[in-house]
Amino acid sequence: MTRLLASPRVQLVLRLLLGAFFVYASLDKIASPAGFARIVYQWQVAGPLPSNLAAVTLPWLELVAGLLLVIGVWRREAALVIALLLVVFLVAAGSVLARGIDVTNCGCFSVAKEAADSGWPPAWTKGVGWFLVVRNLLLLAAALSLAFVKPRAGERRGLPAAEQAGFTPASE
Amino acid sequence: MLPFFDMPVDWRRFILILAGAVALGFAWNAASGRGIALGQSVLSQAGDELVKAPDAKALLDKGALFLDARPRDFWKLSRIPGSLSLPEEDFDRAFQEVEPRLRRAGTIVVYCSGYGCDASHVVARKLREKGIAAAILDEGLPAWQDAQLPLDSQARP
Repeated sequence: MTRLLASPRVQLVLRLLLGAFFVYASLDKIASPAGFARIVYQWQVAGPLPSNLAAVTLPWLELVAGLLLVIGVWRREAALVIALLLVVFLVAAGSVLARGIDVTNCGCFSVAKEAADSGWPPAWTKGVGWFLVVRNLLLLAAALSLAFVKPRAGERRGLPAAEQAGFTPASE
Repeated sequence: MLPFFDMPVDWRRFILILAGAVALGFAWNAASGRGIALGQSVLSQAGDELVKAPDAKALLDKGALFLDARPRDFWKLSRIPGSLSLPEEDFDRAFQEVEPRLRRAGTIVVYCSGYGCDASHVVARKLREKGIAAAILDEGLPAWQDAQLPLDSQARP
């Protein structure tokens, strides 16, 4: 598993997917701070004023970290920022689920007010529920592996086979 | 240390990303024209008059009329004592039922289920359009219950 995650190709794909996911997720929230603030407030994790602060800053953290991942600059640190966001989202979702609060639109992508149920995407993908928790755990695993798994140097830099097998250079 | 997990994370960059994004967020909120007022609930608008639960109780004791903006079934189950049902979703019809009482009432306070619920704000604004001033119970029923204030939970038909 770690061998797979250390493959530069796998890391590239994970990086682009995770980055694009978060850039996309940020756009509607940035376009509509009031709509997003209302949704943060509905999670009942924070009062009205902390909810406002979260609504103003969270989407920009998603956008900046997502863009850095996509363009490949400061990618470990960007992946770590995304991991931090996901931990915050997971703790908040756990709190919502534990208290039995019904949040029908998690505000993950769209902040639109409840429209008539269109059938697609299904409601269980939009609310705060187990789908959200499992998805965020998978994203967290991807973000942590990008932050902390060292890409196999050999494939990229043509280092000797001994180093590909796990011997790291003394300097670095 | 495992050779795989060498953690070459530069924490200064990490902090810079956090700080930069937060600064961008505040700048966008201030300059984009789409921003929100950070110092008040996003549900509030200019002209809304909010009243805290203990103050609302004092108004109730002085004979203020309370309006329940939640769907009527919730009002039937439990409500602030003496409150009338004026659901946001059925405002026009319900307003006709209670209009005479509203016109006679001195102080009016509207509430709903708090947090993300903006029904009380919407109802108070609609009343304002009709020339009736109404305050909004800040944070709604949860704040009322947190303050250990009484509810009437006898079922209504």
